[in-house]
Amino acid sequence: MGQYFINMLGPWGWAALACVPPAIVALYFLKLRRKPLEVPSTYLWRKSLEDLHVNSLWQRLRKSILLLLQLLLVALIMIAVLRPGWRGTTLTGERFIFLVDNSASMSAGDVRPTRLDEAKRRTEALIDQMGSGSRAMLVSFSDRAQVVQEFTDNRRLLRDRLRQIQPTQRTTDLKEALQLAAGLANADPRATGDEGDAADSMPADMYIFSDGKFPDVADFSLGNLTPIFVPLGEAAAENVAVTAFSTRPDEVDGTRWQAFAQVANYGPRDVTRTAELYAGDELLDAKQIDIAAGGATGLAFDLGQMQRGALRVVLQEKDSLALDDTAYAAVNPPRLARVLLVSPGNEALRLGLLTSQAREHAQVEFAKPAHLASEAYKQQAASGVYDLVVYDQCRPEAMPEANTLFIGRLPPMLEWQTNAEDGMPPTISGPQVIDTNRAHPILQLVELDDILVAESLSLSPPTGGTVLIDGDRGKLMAIAPRGGYEDAVLGFEIVSTAEDGQRFNTNWPIGRLSFPTFLLNVIEYLGRPSGGTSLQSVRPGEPVTLSADGPAAELTVRSPEGDSQRLVRSQQGTYHFHGTEVAGIYQISQEGGQQRHFAVNLFDETESNIRPRPEEAIQIGYVTVDGRTGWEPARRELWKYVLLGALFVLLVEWYIYNRRVFI
Amino acid sequence: MSTTSPTELLPPDLMAQLERLELVTRKVFRGRIKGERRSKRKGQSVEFADFRNYVHGDDLRFLDWNMYARLDRLFLKLFLEEEDLHFYVLLDASESMNFGEPTKLDFGRRLAAALGFVGLIRTDRVKIETLGQPLRHRSSALRGRANVWRMLDKLEHIQPGERVSLLEGVKNFCLRNTGRGIVVLVSDLMDKDGYEVALRFLMSQRMDVYVIHVLSAEELDPDMQGDLKLVDCEDEDVAEISISAPLLARYKKTLEAFVSGAREFCTRRDMVYLLANNQLGVQELVSSYLRSRGLVR
Repeated sequence: MGQYFINMLGPWGWAALACVPPAIVALYFLKLRRKPLEVPSTYLWRKSLEDLHVNSLWQRLRKSILLLLQLLLVALIMIAVLRPGWRGTTLTGERFIFLVDNSASMSAGDVRPTRLDEAKRRTEALIDQMGSGSRAMLVSFSDRAQVVQEFTDNRRLLRDRLRQIQPTQRTTDLKEALQLAAGLANADPRATGDEGDAADSMPADMYIFSDGKFPDVADFSLGNLTPIFVPLGEAAAENVAVTAFSTRPDEVDGTRWQAFAQVANYGPRDVTRTAELYAGDELLDAKQIDIAAGGATGLAFDLGQMQRGALRVVLQEKDSLALDDTAYAAVNPPRLARVLLVSPGNEALRLGLLTSQAREHAQVEFAKPAHLASEAYKQQAASGVYDLVVYDQCRPEAMPEANTLFIGRLPPMLEWQTNAEDGMPPTISGPQVIDTNRAHPILQLVELDDILVAESLSLSPPTGGTVLIDGDRGKLMAIAPRGGYEDAVLGFEIVSTAEDGQRFNTNWPIGRLSFPTFLLNVIEYLGRPSGGTSLQSVRPGEPVTLSADGPAAELTVRSPEGDSQRLVRSQQGTYHFHGTEVAGIYQISQEGGQQRHFAVNLFDETESNIRPRPEEAIQIGYVTVDGRTGWEPARRELWKYVLLGALFVLLVEWYIYNRRVFI
Repeated sequence: MSTTSPTELLPPDLMAQLERLELVTRKVFRGRIKGERRSKRKGQSVEFADFRNYVHGDDLRFLDWNMYARLDRLFLKLFLEEEDLHFYVLLDASESMNFGEPTKLDFGRRLAAALGFVGLIRTDRVKIETLGQPLRHRSSALRGRANVWRMLDKLEHIQPGERVSLLEGVKNFCLRNTGRGIVVLVSDLMDKDGYEVALRFLMSQRMDVYVIHVLSAEELDPDMQGDLKLVDCEDEDVAEISISAPLLARYKKTLEAFVSGAREFCTRRDMVYLLANNQLGVQELVSSYLRSRGLVR
């Protein structure tokens, strides 16, 4: 059934129709009345009949040929009621726009071979039916739309171009495709001028071949477009997808790593899956999980001392969409933080930043405040060479592209100076530390109970800032975000430099472990390399902004398919990569630097949930476009021919009834 | 049932033609009365046959006196005797003969009338009998032109519908008529028990047998349609048929086999077989077919 037949009768109709053939047979046997005819002798007739009975089966058929014809007639009527037909016939209209969805979910194999192939097949069928003079345009769309072929009446060209539409792993956004189609169909007549040709404002039929895995398009006017939505995909399609996969250090033991994955079941049945974790090609672990229909399950893998590499988790059993059965994560080696200390001289700070613990995490450079005026500094600061800049007893003219720690000075930003008078905040003498924010990473394990401070600024952090050290008469330390960076301000100097020399402003560095601990926390928290140890996963098609490990002129990104692409450094010192078409691990390499990776994953619930929309309709603006289920482009109906055949059988039956002699 | 007037049975123009004919037998038979035919017996006629020695008691009238004058011995002249001929027409008057237009029986009656007339005018002894005639009921032989009307009258009164099998009818005929002669059997031979035994009876009679097999046009080329229940008019046997081209072809084949079987049966036994169609004119039949078969000349 399905494609070739459409049932036109309910069960009662069929029951009534099914009674007809037995009735015919019954009547045939009941009503067969032979006309008596007296003959001289039946002698020869009997002999003839006996001879004929030798091949009796055929004779019996021949005898009941009228019955057979009547049954054939009923059978033909039944077939006609089933409305046989197939796709194809003529397509009416002059202008067509075929929007073919080639997003990730269209790669699902619930419609053989894939939904995209089915969409292309149906589109091709429509192209075949275009009358001469009709023009059509081909647009493929995922999260962006692409005109595959402009309006043309060259059907061969359309077919060739249609075959070139490839599946992507992108998400879906119909609006862009609609805008593209509308831009060509509803062109402004004033813009086209006199020689408006293909882009005349003319009505067009817009066929949308999609599985409907996109949000409804609000706020769009169709204008001249007549949308026809062709939903693809089976309601019973099964798909189990990895919807999240990430790595992070163990919370207890920071040297151990863990991988977390989330597996969701979008199918209609409960399933059991085996998830395997690979590092490169080496199998690390495998777990079996049960996922209820419509549910999701989390998975955790212990990675041990894993430092770097590419991880992937694979669901073993096959389902309709293979794309989301594998998820990737990149683990990049921790990079040394680059720290610049700008200070007129501060032995305590210098020693604190050069502890063996600190040197494991950071590479510290030292500079005098005069360096701030140099071009070299300005360039480095603007290009984000440093992860952390510590300004001790000095401040720059502009904020660098880095996290900062100001000691005894305010950042050159108005937000920090709300309570300042004449550019200087109020100064407080001998403040007492009342409270420290120990929950913040900077002050973890830092004991400040017994320190003495001679003089400090009273801070007023900007909105969004956090007070770290509260004194009895003002706030002594605070931290606040600035774009992607954070600025910490310590209100009191460690060492004050005056014309007559240096003197300690606090006893904090003297004989207390809390000072180097504080500096270590600062390096770990504020000096963490941008991008972190594992870059965020991105979706296919999304651009990635990469940063170099130091000032490098270009980066080389190698895709999972083996293509390499060189990226040129932008003015902001970042590198923009757009070639994330395929899910997988991308390798970043730079001259003199370590190899790093980032992962591209689908991780999109809308695409992974491949079951078609239950309502099978899409909303475009205020128009609801009903899907045509079981829709075939302009069905070629056969029932008329079948009925004609039935009529012919009836004529033959009548003729044979009257002229039986000939058969 | 059609009654046929004498003129219909034997039209005058036919009569005029038949007067020139005579019945011929391939065998020479003994007649009862001196007739116009040669007999095997030597007797009194003009045709000389042989001489033999005179024995005491011979008729002196046949002595050859010339021979006696020359040889002084008595010789008796022997002449071929001319005799009359027994001519029988055995008509099948069963119900099945009452079919066709004209009916097969009518056809048979006309044929019998024509042949009987030929026999009568040649002073042969003509007997017309039907199969249904009882064994005890002997019919008298007719002789001479004067009896033509009696013969026609008898033919007129033959009614169809006799319920007797071919074999029984022939047997009775043979028992009634032991003499030799020509017998012309006019029948459709449609007997479910077969015609062979009946014909053997006739043959054993050492008669000169002519079998005129009369079939109607409807039997030779049936024109039927549809689903039919054929009823045998004699025994009311029923055959249900649906007319179809193969059935008709098969029927014609069967008929052909039936006819050729009868013909072969007769030919082997020195009988003359003739298939006649009821549409055939008697005049044509007698003057052309029977002539070529040697029954008349």
